[in-house]
Amino acid sequence: MAADRRPGAREAVFAQLNDAGRAEQVAQRLTDAIILGVLSPGERLPSEPELARRFGVALITVREGLVILRDTGLVETRRGREGGSFVIAIDAQHHALLRTRLRGLTQVELSDIAVYFSVIVEGCAARAAVRTSTLDAERLAAWLQKADFTSTASARSNAGGFFLELAVLTQSARLVREQIQVQAEFGPLLFLGMDDPALRERIAAGFRAVVPALQAGDGALARRLVGDQVQSLAEWLLAAKARVERGGQLDETSVDDNNA
Amino acid sequence: MRHPLTTTTPERCAAAVSDLFDVVFQDLESWRDSIAQAGASTRPAELDALVESLVIPSLTLPHPTLIGAGFIAAPEFVHGRDVHFSWWLGPLESNPLLGITTVPTRLDLGARIYTEYLRDVRQLEWYSIPESTHQRHVTGPYVDHLCTCDYIFTVTMPVRVGQQMIGVVGADVSVRRLETALLPLFLAADQPLALVNAVGRVVISTEPTVQVGQLAPHDGAAVDCAGVPFRVLISPATPSRD
Repeated sequence: MAADRRPGAREAVFAQLNDAGRAEQVAQRLTDAIILGVLSPGERLPSEPELARRFGVALITVREGLVILRDTGLVETRRGREGGSFVIAIDAQHHALLRTRLRGLTQVELSDIAVYFSVIVEGCAARAAVRTSTLDAERLAAWLQKADFTSTASARSNAGGFFLELAVLTQSARLVREQIQVQAEFGPLLFLGMDDPALRERIAAGFRAVVPALQAGDGALARRLVGDQVQSLAEWLLAAKARVERGGQLDETSVDDNNA
Repeated sequence: MRHPLTTTTPERCAAAVSDLFDVVFQDLESWRDSIAQAGASTRPAELDALVESLVIPSLTLPHPTLIGAGFIAAPEFVHGRDVHFSWWLGPLESNPLLGITTVPTRLDLGARIYTEYLRDVRQLEWYSIPESTHQRHVTGPYVDHLCTCDYIFTVTMPVRVGQQMIGVVGADVSVRRLETALLPLFLAADQPLALVNAVGRVVISTEPTVQVGQLAPHDGAAVDCAGVPFRVLISPATPSRD
């Protein structure tokens, strides 16, 4: 609602988890956050008890999850007063992990994630269109105007923020919580396409077009515009998976891929 | 009339809303005065101890109206780059961001994860309005995804030392708790009523077609709630479908 805040990705990293394989989930959540740049190199993770509380799991589960991360070489643990678990910066390795992550998900899973995410944010957009006050719309416009989509990290964070703001505008606490959950689970993957400058620009323009639609109370237009942005992200993700499966790189560095 | 003795008036409903917020304002005034008086220590740790001692009693009442409260210090005051949050949350029910807690917890900004997120907190309504108007302000209802992840009001009041605002004291009130306290009274009125905020957003309604969270256009009779930016709409119009 407010101008210029950057909600979304970061706190969502630590949102509560589902039941099965919890230590693995702790590890996966943090791995995604690290390899996709939501958590920065050198950053200290919250304390173990704090992580346990935030994830809603037992302390032992958090410790098991952190062991997995240490074994993968993504965090290191330092002892002492200034101690804790710190994010390690090894870009090449992160890239490899990211490719592995994409290969580990099937097309059908990726498409399913995109459909699920899209239905939620489209519904948010449609409902927000009839519930947004003039003041709300002005605030969103002011925030969006200053939101930076020129770098990968800020574009990811602001895309997450924009979708979360749409949920906020519905006035539904449940939708906001759902949006936080779904971004925690899939946001880093879904926003992977924000690596691509052309896509970043297109999505930022799409977001900016949503605001007048909200102002005009045009739920159908807002819904379509939001759906289009998610579709673009999904297409990028599936194309990236195809590239990785063919043994190529994640990014669209190869000319062949553009022509394929 | 089947319940002639239980009826009330829109005016009484409006007064009950004012009374409920008055209690919150009184809390905030006393915290504000204590902080301004304390001179106040500009050292975050001492400030935190003071604020904690002030707000915890209101958060741990048997049926607390407040679900969060504290003081947000201006950066200049604490000689920092960012505002300083001395903020406590009351016991929380299941919450995707914060889990479940049974005792008040400090809003945790120390783990760095919220730092970036809150960088421009001074532009948020609950800070910027008291800063520019020098008056107390009620923000909401809105879904707060910063602290509580709930549908709430945030009541804030500037704390000033001389000409300078050193921060705001504030408290969060959930719409749910407001409803629990006031709905029986609203239901006792003869006509359907809807409590709305300054932009016409519905907080409580006894007209099923006028639902909480939506904007209710209204040209008809209404009663202002003294001291707060709310109105009680009398026989609110059935709006076009959401």
